[in-house]
Formats: sequence, C-alpha cells, structure tokens
Amino acid sequence: MAKKQSKRNWDFKAAKDLFYEYLEKRQEKKKINLPPETIQIDNLNRKEALNRLYDLTDSVIEKIYASGRPTIQLPSRTSTNIIWDEENDLLLLGKQLQEKQFHSLSSVADITRLMRVLEAVNELLVKDLHATKREIFYSDVKLFGEQKNSDKSIEDIATMLYTTRNSTHIVASAKGSCIGRLRIRDKSDIIDLEGLGSGGWTISPMLDNIEILESDAEFILVVEKDAAMIRLAEARFWRKYPCIILTAKGAADIATRMFLKHLSKDLKLPVFSLVDSDPYGHYIHSVYLRGSKRLSYESPFLATPNIKLLGVLTRDLDKYKIPKEGRLPMTKMDIKRTKELLNEDFVKKNKAWHDDLNLALKLKVKAEIQVLSSHGFEFLTDQYLPEKLTTGDWI
Amino acid sequence: MRIFNKKDGGIVQLIDKEKMQEWPVELPLIFIEYIREKQIEKYEDAKVKKEISNYLNEILKDVAIPRLISVLEGDNNEETISALQRIEELSKKNIEMTKPIRPYLNNLLKHRNKTIVKLAQNISNNFTKADRKKELAKKRKIMQEKEKDFLAGKISGEEYARTRKEYLTLKE
Repeated sequence: MAKKQSKRNWDFKAAKDLFYEYLEKRQEKKKINLPPETIQIDNLNRKEALNRLYDLTDSVIEKIYASGRPTIQLPSRTSTNIIWDEENDLLLLGKQLQEKQFHSLSSVADITRLMRVLEAVNELLVKDLHATKREIFYSDVKLFGEQKNSDKSIEDIATMLYTTRNSTHIVASAKGSCIGRLRIRDKSDIIDLEGLGSGGWTISPMLDNIEILESDAEFILVVEKDAAMIRLAEARFWRKYPCIILTAKGAADIATRMFLKHLSKDLKLPVFSLVDSDPYGHYIHSVYLRGSKRLSYESPFLATPNIKLLGVLTRDLDKYKIPKEGRLPMTKMDIKRTKELLNEDFVKKNKAWHDDLNLALKLKVKAEIQVLSSHGFEFLTDQYLPEKLTTGDWI
Repeated sequence: MRIFNKKDGGIVQLIDKEKMQEWPVELPLIFIEYIREKQIEKYEDAKVKKEISNYLNEILKDVAIPRLISVLEGDNNEETISALQRIEELSKKNIEMTKPIRPYLNNLLKHRNKTIVKLAQNISNNFTKADRKKELAKKRKIMQEKEKDFLAGKISGEEYARTRKEYLTLKE
C-alpha cells in the first residue's frame, strides 16, 4: 500500500493554509491577558531574578526587625487553586496564598530547606551557573533527606519569587531532541539542526542560553516516541517537507515544552502532535497544549495552546485499515484514564477530541504510532503524515 | 523575526538585528558569514537571496561594525583584549569574517597595553599570511596557464621561466 502511493506528490494544502493563516495573524500582536483571579508569573533574566530574590530577603529581614516572628507567603499549589483559563486555554494558579512561619515547630524543617534552596539559587545566579534538581538535593542530603523534599522547596522558591523555575537557574535534566530546518545559537555557538546526524540536537535545559537564529520551516511536528523520530530522521522528512521535528521521548519534560513554546512564539508556525492512540498519548498532547496541573504556575511559558492533535486518532485505525492484530485491548487503567480525560473541561469543549476519546472507549482499543508500520516502514512518512497534513485531518 | 517571502509561498525567518545588540561582540560577524556561506544558496529563490544579502549588509553596517569599533576604540582594556582574543581565533578559522576590523589594527598596534599590541600583531600577521596565500594562488594559476602555453609552443621558454621564478620566489 505504502509503496504504491509513495510516488504521490502531496501538496500539504491544509497545513499550508494554516501556515498562511498564521502568517496573516502575526501582524496582529496579541497580548495574553490573564484572568484577574490568577497570579502573574514572569520569566526573568539573571539580574531581574537576583533583584526579586533580594527584595524577598529584605522583606524577611524587615519582619524580623518589626516583630521577631518572620513569615513567608507564597501562592498555594493545591488542586483547589488551579484554574483553567478558558479564553487562553491554559491551566493557571489562583490567588490563594499559604503562609510559612519561621518560628513554628511544624514548619521549621520546611523553612530551613527553603532558605537552603534560596541560598543555592543566589549562588547560581551570582555565578551565572545552572544546576539540576538532583544537584540541589546532593548539595545538602542531610537536610533534604529525600529528593522530593528538595524538589518541593525548588518549586516553592519559584512561586515565592513569582517566576519560572528556569529563571532560578535550577533546571531539569533534558531528554528531548530536535531536528530539521532550524539554526539556533547556544551562547557563542551556531548550531545547524539539519547537520547533526539522525539523532538531532539534544534539547538543552539551559534554555536561557538558546536563541533562534534562522528557519525556513513551515510547520513544527512534535512526536511522542523516539521510534517515530528515528523513522522521520532516517527519511530526512524535513528536506521534502520544510519542518522542525521534536520529541520528548515519552512524557513531555519541561525543557522540551519550554523549547517548543519558544519555537512557536518566535517562529509563529503551526504545531502538530503525533502521539499513541491511547489515553497516555492524548494526555501528553494535553500537557503540550495547556500545561500540567503540577506546574500550572508556569503554564504561560510552557504551554503551546495552538498545537493540533494530528494522530494517531482512534478514527484513523479504521480509516487507514490498521489490522486488528495491531490494535491492543484497553486495560482497566486505560478506561479509567480515558474517562478522566473525557471529564476534563478542555476536552468537553473540543467536540472532535471528545468524540475520538468516546470512540476509543466504545471500541475499547488503543494503538501505538508504530502500528502504522504494518503497512510498511515508509507508510508514516510517505502516506500517513502527508495525507493528514494535506487533508487537514487533525483535532 | 525578520520574514522573507519566497515565490513558492514558503518563508525564511531570520533573527531581528535589534536582538544582536546583546550578543558577544564577534557573534554578529560569525552569523553574517554563516548565513552567507552555509544557508543563502539553499533558499533557491533569487529575490529572497538578494533581500537576505541586503539584510546581512544592514546587520554588518548597523550592528557588527559599530559594536566592534566601540569595543576596539573603547577605554576598557579588558573588554578589548577579550574581543581581540575572539577575533584572533576567528581570523585563524576564517580570515574573511574579520575583515571589517583591519582598518583599526594600525591604532591597536600602537596601544600602550602589551597584550593588546600582541593580539593586534597576531591578527595582522594572519591577514598578511592570508594576503600572501591569495597572491600565491593567483601566481600559481598564471604559471599553470603559461605552462600550458609553453608546452603548446605558444610562448618562449624564457617567458615561462620568468613566470615560474616569480611564483617560486613568492612561495619561498
């Protein structure tokens, strides 16, 4: 089937139409107005982050002088304080605050850890260095006990400073990669993402050092699986169809999401995702789309609200005649996760997405991206993706 | 980003020159050279190629040279040394990229700071070497042509010997 159709010259009409629409839209510079009941988080440069840190420590010192009983207030990150902003399609943090007291026995360990992380952030910013969450944990194992404690303090510090975690120079180790029609700058080095072999460029967690220099791409494709990335890289997909391809190799990590946001914001190109046809794949798409609940305070810097779900959709399984033996039965957990997704407001508002998840629930089947290779290894690159991008078959 | 529209409906996006003001001083030059050497031919659209080439000239005129000059003519020796060190490295890799600073080398060779003088001298030597290499290539080409003419009996042995001597003298 793939061999028979591989010679067809796809024109990517639908994807191009979307690209032209974006080109026209880029004239209107739209500022995102966040709802008044949510907090404002800023992406800061090193100097701004240091200033905010000094303001915070000054306020603590003032409270010591004034009452001898200092406290720190920070936005609450509990689920009751997470708000879905329908207009901007983002998960955001509300204005509920929590207070941590220095003099209380119950919060003394928490406060000590917070101050230790604050000290580390100060050192990183002053020296212009970056550290991973793991390194922060090892900087004082005795105090943190477990990494989950240092991780929590790191997130607390970012919210206390009303900034993103990357602005504190504490980064998560990156696992994503990117390839295609793009040239970037990493400090003083120019990197050509077409010339790095099949593996592409490993997305740097130090994204404050990265700047987009040049691109002649017309769309961005996010793939869930490394296997799909390998297939696309081997076919040099971006040569025939000008695009940038990236993957987080599974769940969407912060660096990959942030880099995608950066690409989408600077280049203003249509973005498509290719994930497994199962609730986890759809959840990964949703995290790229509107952010995760845990990092809702960073959503404006991590989410790509215009990303389209290109596939693999449940309806594709019949449309592309995926053999029955390639379709997997849903487990109880898959059914539970699918129902949870169907209950999310952002899915309810998107009829096509809701219908596709309902269809999955009705048929009780799921499938991996790799199932497309049942029609030949080149089916993904020569038929499936070109056809979908030509006909506009996405959600 | 600065957008350049291709006839086939595609686009090329290049970073705005305003963003380069914060870059390390030598980087705009590297960027210009990179796009000229590695990318411009790939765009396959004469109009876009011309527009981009004009934009690169604009970057050179408005950002790259003024920034280099401000550092090289400034009073901050540390900054000048750091810029010259990067320019020296660049001049070893691709002398063409560092051409715009050549007119400023004479002043730097008279500087009071020894490190600055030494770096300026090294860069100047790299220019001299490059000039010599170019001259040698030119002479070699002429000599090869004369050799053909000589073998074809079009010129005398004396004329060929004179050209060869000129080439060998320069080579030594």
